[in-house]
Amino acid sequence: MTSKAGKKTSVAVGQAILLGLVSVVMALGINSVSPNSIGLVGQYRSLSNSEGPIVPPNAEDGDPQFIDINQAQMEFTLGTATFVDSRDPEEFVCGTIPGSVNIPFEYLPEFDLEQYLDSSLGYVSHDEAIIIFCSGEECDLSLHLGRNLQDLGYTKALIFFGGSREWEQAGLNIQRRQDCGN
Amino acid sequence: MRKLIDNDYVTMLSRLIIGLMYIYASFYKIVEPAVFAKSIWYYHIVPGSLINIMALILPWLELLCGLAILIGICYRGAVLWANVLLVVFIIAFASTIARGIDIDCGCFKAGKSATRAAWKTLWFDVAVLLCGLQLWFSRSKRWMLSGH
Repeated sequence: MTSKAGKKTSVAVGQAILLGLVSVVMALGINSVSPNSIGLVGQYRSLSNSEGPIVPPNAEDGDPQFIDINQAQMEFTLGTATFVDSRDPEEFVCGTIPGSVNIPFEYLPEFDLEQYLDSSLGYVSHDEAIIIFCSGEECDLSLHLGRNLQDLGYTKALIFFGGSREWEQAGLNIQRRQDCGN
Repeated sequence: MRKLIDNDYVTMLSRLIIGLMYIYASFYKIVEPAVFAKSIWYYHIVPGSLINIMALILPWLELLCGLAILIGICYRGAVLWANVLLVVFIIAFASTIARGIDIDCGCFKAGKSATRAAWKTLWFDVAVLLCGLQLWFSRSKRWMLSGH
């Protein structure tokens, strides 16, 4: 009886190893040719010592979700979100999160706002993640732009209130289009 | 009890539940590995360097196990994997509830949701695990391409 159970288990383990190996081969093979492929080793920030997202004092119930640097960096690494810099173009060119779209909150048009934002965001789906930021804690342009986007139906508008400063302080790359002496 | 566990129809029903569940669960993960990697990240328990490789391999393992259980090839190995994975999912999900992390399981689709759904998912996984255990102990070999 015991040897029968032991045989059953060893057969199961052998088959499990085979299934595991086939899965590894399929995963690596398909990932190497897939248009949606990802890197084998994810470069994510350590999640330890995370103090959570910075939330401004003027945040209200119903505001878009605030995210911390770890989540912003994860979304950046996976390319699953559009990053939006809400500052003026003069500040944007001096240094921003690489690949960000510049939508200056101060220059939002009074009319056809939806059309303007849809166009600026490249007509991304309204349920895709959009991460809005500005320079850091002293700047709340990201909060206001985030509220606008949420009101227009962008259901995954996220605010990274630490902004480009926290990003740079974490040792992450900054894209500078112009040398502003910083 | 033994008769019920060995019953061909009960065994087939469990195979259908687990097989179809794993096949269905693997689809979005295979098509969108980045989105699944994000779901794993939200659990905050897998080291960053292992998240992507896990996001790539796990869906294929789920798909192969689902197919193997339905068809009845490499059956015992697939049932072993199915049960091990379910135990891992249950522990991982219970740990997020205990730590107050508010996430959707990422089992069938990506996204975040309320903790109310967390308990529902946990009980669902426990129920499926019972089916998995039934398959492990069942001696029924009916409607399988190979006998083991």
